[in-house]
Amino acid sequence: MFKLEFWALLVGGIGSGFIYAMIAIGYTMVYGVLRLINFAHSEIFMAGGFASFFLLKATIGSTTPTGIMSVLYIILGILGGGIVGALLAMTLERVAYRPLRNRNAPKLAYLISAIGASYFLFNMAGKEFGRYNLSMVSPYVNHTVFTIYGAPVQMYYIIIFIAALIMLVTLDQLVAKTKLGRSIRSVAQDSETASLMGVDIDKTIALTFILGGFMGGAAGFLFGLNVGVVYTMGFTPAIKAFTAAVLGGIGNLRGAVIGGLILGVVESFSVAFVNGAYIDVVAFGILVLVLLFRPTGILGERIGRAA
Amino acid sequence: MNIFLKSKILKQLVATLMISFLVCVVTGPSGSPTAPASGFTGSFNNKSSFFGIFSAPRWTLFVFLGLLVYVSFRIKLKYSENVSSFTDKVLFIPRKISSNQSTRRVTIGALVVFSLILPKIVTDHFWQTVLVSQIAVYVLLALGLNVVTGFAGLLDLGFVAFYAVGAYATAWATGSLPLPALFGIHIDPFFAIPVAIGFAMIAGIILGIPTLRLRGDYLAIVTLGFGEIITLFANNLYGITGGALGSNQIPHFAINIGPVKYAWGLAPVPYYYLTLVFVVLFIIIFSSLEHSRVGRSWTAIREDEVAAESVGINPLKYKVMAFAIGAASAGFAGVITAAQSNFINPASFTLYVSINVLVLVIFGGMGSIAGVVFGAVFIQAVSMYLIHTPPSGYQSQDLYIYIGALLVVMMIFRPGGLIPAKRRGRSTVHAKVQVTEGS
Amino acid sequence: MENIFDVDDVTLRFAGIVSLSGVSMHQKRGEILAVIGPNGAGKTSLFNSLTGVYQPQEGQISFNRKGQDALSIIGKKPHKISTAGVARTFQASRMFNALTTFENVKIGAESHRGIGAVGAMFKGPATRRDEKISDETTWKLLNFVGLAEKANLISSSLSYGDRRRLEIARGLATNPEVLLLDEPAAGTNPSEKIELAELIRKVRDDMGVSILLIEHDMKLVMSLAERIYVLNFGSVIAEGTPAEIRANQAVIDAYLGTTSTDREK
Repeated sequence: MFKLEFWALLVGGIGSGFIYAMIAIGYTMVYGVLRLINFAHSEIFMAGGFASFFLLKATIGSTTPTGIMSVLYIILGILGGGIVGALLAMTLERVAYRPLRNRNAPKLAYLISAIGASYFLFNMAGKEFGRYNLSMVSPYVNHTVFTIYGAPVQMYYIIIFIAALIMLVTLDQLVAKTKLGRSIRSVAQDSETASLMGVDIDKTIALTFILGGFMGGAAGFLFGLNVGVVYTMGFTPAIKAFTAAVLGGIGNLRGAVIGGLILGVVESFSVAFVNGAYIDVVAFGILVLVLLFRPTGILGERIGRAA
Repeated sequence: MNIFLKSKILKQLVATLMISFLVCVVTGPSGSPTAPASGFTGSFNNKSSFFGIFSAPRWTLFVFLGLLVYVSFRIKLKYSENVSSFTDKVLFIPRKISSNQSTRRVTIGALVVFSLILPKIVTDHFWQTVLVSQIAVYVLLALGLNVVTGFAGLLDLGFVAFYAVGAYATAWATGSLPLPALFGIHIDPFFAIPVAIGFAMIAGIILGIPTLRLRGDYLAIVTLGFGEIITLFANNLYGITGGALGSNQIPHFAINIGPVKYAWGLAPVPYYYLTLVFVVLFIIIFSSLEHSRVGRSWTAIREDEVAAESVGINPLKYKVMAFAIGAASAGFAGVITAAQSNFINPASFTLYVSINVLVLVIFGGMGSIAGVVFGAVFIQAVSMYLIHTPPSGYQSQDLYIYIGALLVVMMIFRPGGLIPAKRRGRSTVHAKVQVTEGS
Repeated sequence: MENIFDVDDVTLRFAGIVSLSGVSMHQKRGEILAVIGPNGAGKTSLFNSLTGVYQPQEGQISFNRKGQDALSIIGKKPHKISTAGVARTFQASRMFNALTTFENVKIGAESHRGIGAVGAMFKGPATRRDEKISDETTWKLLNFVGLAEKANLISSSLSYGDRRRLEIARGLATNPEVLLLDEPAAGTNPSEKIELAELIRKVRDDMGVSILLIEHDMKLVMSLAERIYVLNFGSVIAEGTPAEIRANQAVIDAYLGTTSTDREK
């Protein structure tokens, strides 16, 4: 229980768990207000990754930064990825979803449109930026910061923990305490009444996409720091993040975080039992089990209406 | 008043120009990671010829086209109330043909004759091969997905799994897989047809029973995952499926019973006729289903599952039936692919294929047999043409840029497809009928 | 068995809300029984429990079919209950909008026949025979409810009153022993109400189908029903003949505050 492997796997699992959590936020928030699975969210993640890649490539010189410069570059990466993610999400909503909302289309029409948008976006990325993996210019020197029972905790994970925690807590407080957050929650519960009470539905929905898009794009940066970026990078993490969102309770913000962490850790530990190629099956298996036996997830649908 | 008009006109103009810039980039040259902006700069700055007369940067061509479209749109608006009336009239022709029994029979007869003599017209080897491997196969896939998504209203994003099962079952039955065939008997792919279809249908039932209780969008995601899992297994179970290498020893079709002897070889045309027979067969069967109690039950379930249950229709049974029947068509497509190219590997059975088939169905007309056949033939022919004679800067994967855009455009402007089904009502993608519930 | 329905101490709960609380009632075979009560009293929940849409947590519901064993309703799926002989209509008529009037009823008729997928694909003689029988049943029922001229119209184009009749025809097509009508008179004008009452009586008299109806229109209820249950806040507060109910103080109290336009004086 206290062996090195256990802690190493745990650290890795929490790291990827936070990334899943950040992507899952995008799914869960959009689902909360629109009851729609934003299938194209995977491309928002990818766009954030590429945006921060180009940003860092253009700004970081030949020497790897250290100290305070590292922190600044990391913040730059997060902002770059997040802002591009937010902008793309907003555009997506405007172009692919709002026309459907205006004619009251059924749920599946959005899903098909989302798939189309997703395919359009990642293949465009492939066309414009090439179809092979690109390593990010590192804004920091990756070293082992400390060890737990012999398991090394690298700088990379520290960065993820801190960055993710800051962003997630900020978002949580924003949704729980501010007027903006209240409008989101009210639209998620009952959009008709919300609009009667003066909430601007279109703006609130756009805001939801922006917030989820920022988180997803920033997640793309954090993900890319480790494994680089490639035009197909969105697919697998996004499906897993969706699983995390469902696991935690779709529509439930804190559930997305919990679901992400649980999924990340479970996945990490299943390396010990399952052949590496089949790890993805673990996430998918969790998804099917949750949907069949407890579709409201761990925390249940909270932002949205009761079943 | 004036200002308002101006801003709306301006907004439409800006939107039109942005779309033409987008088209400019999409059809332009590709970038690369070392020169990521080169795709964009090239798209705008490369010289292109205006009707062969003079050459100018591409962006001017697209601005010109955009303005042209915009201006003609505005002129059209001035002179007719409904801008899309012309396109509507053209697209209404299929409906007019099918509603009159004699015109319908004549058209079908003409199409049958045309498809029979098609190999005589199309003599290029590339196109003859494509006719089978890309067009006929995708017609079969589209027919199958049409049953699942068009008739029964279930969005299946993992449809390729049934195609794969059919192909691999064929390979297995003919002894071409590392996994030995049943009792070591190698049967000919022709007789593997029922085996493959059977396996595909069983796969449909196995997938369907647990998942068809799920709601529409969750079902879509789960089927997508299932398709990915199938690919994953195919890639990794080296001892069973041959792994990433697949199988390359699948024999051609051959019939050898008593006096009937015929062996298919490398030539595509005999495959074409065999496939054509089955396509016609499937069309007849599916059309018969559509107008039967089963088809009515599917429509009822799609329209209002609760009401359907209240008259004794078991939704799960009919949904699983749809899966199995759609899978049968896909399974047969797998047999054709396996036997014609003698080679299959997991790379031919990816999510791209599922999405490709989806776009054929959506574009052609969900729920309409004529529509999906048309959609399949049209889109596959166009995409094969683009591979055969690619315009400058076109990479083969660019196809999916267009497919993606087409899906979005179809959903927004014409969700019923080009040749919509006759029975629409509250279908999978049309506007919801407002059902008001009391207390 | 004298009773066609035996409902025994049924309690239905949703997250936080008790919709039905210890409800007991029975319906005699061949009876026209009405369930009334203010909005939110649990009437539709009762219907939904009888037809398998909701699953009560406590109690028992027994459907006593003619010449067969009693069927315990709770725990059965809605389509099985329909096949057993319970038909229903919905508060807001739920048509299969994409189908014609004829097809709507035909679906009801054929759902109890044995045409399978194979038959549907290959249209053999057995299938054709079954289709003919379904067609005949459908025409008979369309004539019975008076919708024969509108048989080929798309059902979404029918008027409110016609939709009600279509739902009744569709329900009857499943050859039921009991027909549950959920507010059949909602949205109809006085002359339509009279026609509706006649039709309901005809269904019971000519076809021997027991009727259980939810209604707000008191005049209709009082003239049509042979016995009435009154629900309020999920419990039965009164039961009896129309005359008894009219005089029942608890019922009058329950309805105080609602508009009196429908109340028979």
